[in-house]
Amino acid sequence: MSDIKRWAKALTESADSYKKYVGSWEEKIGSFLQFDPEAAQADSSGQGLLAVIPFGVKDNIAVKGFNMTCGSKILENFDCPYTATAVENLQKAGAVPVGKMNMDEFGMGSSTDNSALAETHNPWDTSRVAGGSSGGSAAAVAAGQVPFALGSDTGGSVRQPASFCGVYGLKPTYGTVSRYGLTAYASSLETIGVCAETAGLTRDVFKAMRGKDIMDNTTVEYKPSGKDDVETVAVLKAGEGDLNVDVLRSYKTSIARLKDLGYKTVEVELPTLKYVVPAYYVIATAEASANLARFNGIRYGLAAQGAETPSALMEETRHSGFGDEVKLRILLGTYVLRSGFQDQFYHRAQKIRTAILNDFNRIFESADALMMPVFPTAAFRHGSSDLTQLQQKAADLYTCSANLAGLPALAVPSTIEEGLPVGVQFMAPAFEEERLFRIAEKLEAVFPAQKPEGYSQEWKA
Amino acid sequence: MKYQSFVGLEIHIQLITETKVFCSCPNNFGDEPNTNVCPVCMGYPGALPSLNEEAVFKALKVSRALNCHINEKAVFERKNYFYPDMPKNYQISQFEFPFGINGYFDLELDDGSVKRIRIHDVHLEEDAGKMIHDAYQSRLDYNRAGTPLLEIVTEPDLLDGREAELFVQQFRQLVRYLEVTDGNMEEGSLRCDANTSINLPGKGLGTKTEVKNLNSSRFVNKALTYEIKRHAKVLDKGDTIVQETRLWDEGSSTTRSMRSKEDSHDYRYFPEPDLPPFRPDAALMARVEEAMIELPNDRKKRYEAELKLTSDQAVFITAEKNTADWFEAVLAAGADASQTAAWLSGDIQKILNKEGKSIEQSPFTPERIKELFDLINSNRISNNIGKDVLQAIFDEDRDPSAIVKEKGLEQVSDTGAVEKVVEEVLAAHRAVVDAIRAGEDKQIGFLMGQLMKATGGKVNPQLAREMIVNKIKRSE
Repeated sequence: MSDIKRWAKALTESADSYKKYVGSWEEKIGSFLQFDPEAAQADSSGQGLLAVIPFGVKDNIAVKGFNMTCGSKILENFDCPYTATAVENLQKAGAVPVGKMNMDEFGMGSSTDNSALAETHNPWDTSRVAGGSSGGSAAAVAAGQVPFALGSDTGGSVRQPASFCGVYGLKPTYGTVSRYGLTAYASSLETIGVCAETAGLTRDVFKAMRGKDIMDNTTVEYKPSGKDDVETVAVLKAGEGDLNVDVLRSYKTSIARLKDLGYKTVEVELPTLKYVVPAYYVIATAEASANLARFNGIRYGLAAQGAETPSALMEETRHSGFGDEVKLRILLGTYVLRSGFQDQFYHRAQKIRTAILNDFNRIFESADALMMPVFPTAAFRHGSSDLTQLQQKAADLYTCSANLAGLPALAVPSTIEEGLPVGVQFMAPAFEEERLFRIAEKLEAVFPAQKPEGYSQEWKA
Repeated sequence: MKYQSFVGLEIHIQLITETKVFCSCPNNFGDEPNTNVCPVCMGYPGALPSLNEEAVFKALKVSRALNCHINEKAVFERKNYFYPDMPKNYQISQFEFPFGINGYFDLELDDGSVKRIRIHDVHLEEDAGKMIHDAYQSRLDYNRAGTPLLEIVTEPDLLDGREAELFVQQFRQLVRYLEVTDGNMEEGSLRCDANTSINLPGKGLGTKTEVKNLNSSRFVNKALTYEIKRHAKVLDKGDTIVQETRLWDEGSSTTRSMRSKEDSHDYRYFPEPDLPPFRPDAALMARVEEAMIELPNDRKKRYEAELKLTSDQAVFITAEKNTADWFEAVLAAGADASQTAAWLSGDIQKILNKEGKSIEQSPFTPERIKELFDLINSNRISNNIGKDVLQAIFDEDRDPSAIVKEKGLEQVSDTGAVEKVVEEVLAAHRAVVDAIRAGEDKQIGFLMGQLMKATGGKVNPQLAREMIVNKIKRSE
C-alpha cells in the first residue's frame, strides 16, 4: 500500500486514532482554526486519484460546511455558503477537506502572527513561527496532521512557510488554478497553491485542482510546451549580503547536489530584483484597498453595535474588525491610487512587473529552470526580535518576483541547519510545473524527507 | 442673452439581458427584495465577476449606432467609493478604454435642421442596489445590484434645455429601436444627468454645474433652463460660478446644491484585475454589424420621400420600432402605403389606445389587415363597414373574411337587388325626389341615408348613388 493510500484510513478505519494524533499536535502548534473531518465529507466523491484523503484548507478559501474567517475578527463567525472551484475539483477527485488552517489576517504577513484569532507555532521549534501567510497549512503538513493543505500565494505565502516547515510548497502559473472562492487580497498576483509532504503528491493535487473555470475569467487553458526534462538550471547568484549564514550554507549545498545529479548549472543575476519589493507592495496594497472594501458590516460578518447611520456602521465595523497590518496596507493602497499619483506609483510598479518578467524570459532562453533562495533566513522567533515587520517585507524579494511575473515556483526542502529546515526554490516558464516536480523528485533522493520530533504515522498501521 | 451656453449629458440606460452583468442571477429587480442575489452580486469574499457577453453585445450595438470608434481592447476598471447599496464598495466600470469612443449623434432640431452632437464615450458598468430610508431604518434591496448599466456621455455640444430635451427624446427612441433597453424614464431604466456652463461668446466653456437624476425629458429642459438663467444672474452680478453637483426639485422648479467639487470623490480608478481586457473579435463585430438596423430618423425620411406619407404620419409610425415594423409587414403583405398609414394612424391606433394593447400583441396581424383592405378595395364591404370589421377582428380574434361572411356584411352590388331597394326608397319619398329634380342635389344624401338604413349599410354606395341619380333623371 502506497503511503498516500494509507492516508485514506484517517477518515475510515483509523478515524479515532487520527483525530487523537491531530489533537495532540494541535496543543503544540495550533495549525487549525477549525478541525471537523465530517463537516464536508458528504461533498466528496469518495473515489478518484485522491480518494478519501484528508486535506487542510487555508481559511481564506471557501468551503461550504466550514467558516471562512481569513484570520480576521471581521469574518470571525462567517459561515461560508459556497465552495471554491479548486476545492470542488479536489472533492471530485475524492479528497476530503477536514479543516481550515490558520493564517495571517487576509494573507498579510510572513509569520501567521498577524492572525487575529489564534497562534500557530513551527512544529520544529514552537518558539518560532511557521512562516506565513499560509503558516497553518505548512505546519499541519510538517506535523503529519494532513498530507497536503491548500494555501494561497500572493508574494510567497505558500513557499516561505513551506520552507520554514520543511515541506513542498507550490505556487502555480497564474491563471491555471481558479481563484473563485479565494478571498482576494491582491487579485493580479495571487494563486491558490499547495503545501504537501512529497513532490509527487504536490503534482497530483495540482493536476486535480487546476482547470479553466467559467467562474474565474482570468483562468486559462493549460498549455505546457511538452518539454518536461530539465538539463540546464540557472542558479541565482547569492552571497553573504543576501542570505544569513545558515541559509547561504544550505544554498551552496543545494547547488553542489544539483551538480552531483548531473544538471548543468549557470550562475545568473536578476538586475530587476532590487525593485520587486516596492513594486510588489504598491500593486498588492492598491488591489487590497479595493478588495477589502466589501467588508463593511452590512451584508455579513462583524457588524458594529449601536451605529446610528449606515456610514457609521461601516466605519465602526472596519475600525474594530481589521488588525493593524491590514489597516496599514489599506492605507498604503489608498495612498498610491490617489488621482495624480498613479504614474508615480501604480503605473511605475506595472513597468517593473514587465521588467522582471523580461529578466526571467531572458534566463529561460538558455535554461530550463531557475534556482533561487526562498527567504534570507530560516524560521524566525515570534515577535520582532529576529526580524521587524519591515525586514520581513523586504525579505519577500525572492518569492514575490514569481508573483509579479505570473510564473510557477516550487519550494523544495533541502538541508536542516541548526535544527531548522531550509528550503530552496525553483522557477520555470509558465505552464512548466512538470519541470519543477521532476527536479524536486530527483532532489528528494539526496535530501530525504526529514520530520520534526513528535512526527508519527503509527495511527495508519 | 449675452452669454453662450453649453450643455452635455450623461445618460444611463439599464440594458435588457437575461442575467446580471457579472453573474447568472436574473436581471429582474421588481421581484421580492433580495431574491435575485448570489455570492457574486452580494460581494461575498472570494466571489469573482464573470462577464456577460449579451451585455457586451448590446454595449457594442449602441456604440456602433452612435458611430463610435470601437476600442480593440476594452478595459474594465474599479471605481472606488463606499456606499451601502454597493456590495463591493467599488463599482466595476470602464474609464480609460471603454467599448466606444469619439462617436456622434445627428440631432433633429425643431426647425428641421440637423445638428451633429459628439459622443465622448459609451461604457458598460454595474448598477448598485436600492436603499430605502424611513424614519427609523434604512432598508436594502440588492436585486438591482450587478445589473448591466450602459452610460453614454456627450460632449458639451448642446445649446440649451430644449436641445437637451430633444436629444433625450431622440436618443431614447434610438435605444428602444436597438432593443437594448425599455427606456422607461419614470422607472429609472433611462436616467439622465445634465451639465451646463455659460460664457461670453468666443470665450469657450465656463465653469460647469451638474444636475443629477432627471427622470423625464421635460425636467431635463426645465432644470437646464433654470440653471442657465441662474448662471447668467451670477455672472451679471460679477460673481463666479461654483463648480458643484445640484439636484432638481420639481416642486419648486429650482435646483439646489448637493455637493461641491471639494467634496467630490477621488474614485481611484485602476484596471479590474479580475477581468482580462475584452477584445471584440471579427465574429462578434460581424454580429454587431448585422444587428445594425435602419435608425428612426432615416426611416422617417424614407417614408416621406419614397412612400409619400405625410410628415405627421411618418413621425407617428416611426416613433416606436414595433409600430414601424408592423407597418412594413403590412406593406410586405401587399397593402398600399397610404391606405395602411391612414388606417394605422386612425382607427387602428384608436382601438389600441382604447384597449391598452401594443400592436404586435393585438389580433391585428399584417395578413388580416391586408385582407381587410382587399375586402374594401374590391367593394365587397364599404369603408364604414370596414371599421366595424376592424373592431370585430380585435374583439373576436378572427380573420376579416370570416367575420364578413358570418355576419352577412358583404355589400349588395347585384344591380337587380339594388334597383329594387332604390325603387322602394324613391316611392316612399316622392317629395324629396321632386326637390332633387328641382335642383336640390344635396337631398341625394338624404335618400342615400334612407337606403343605407333600409339595408343595414350593406348596399354598394357608389352603385346605389348612380342608380338614384339615373332614375330621377330618366323620369324627367
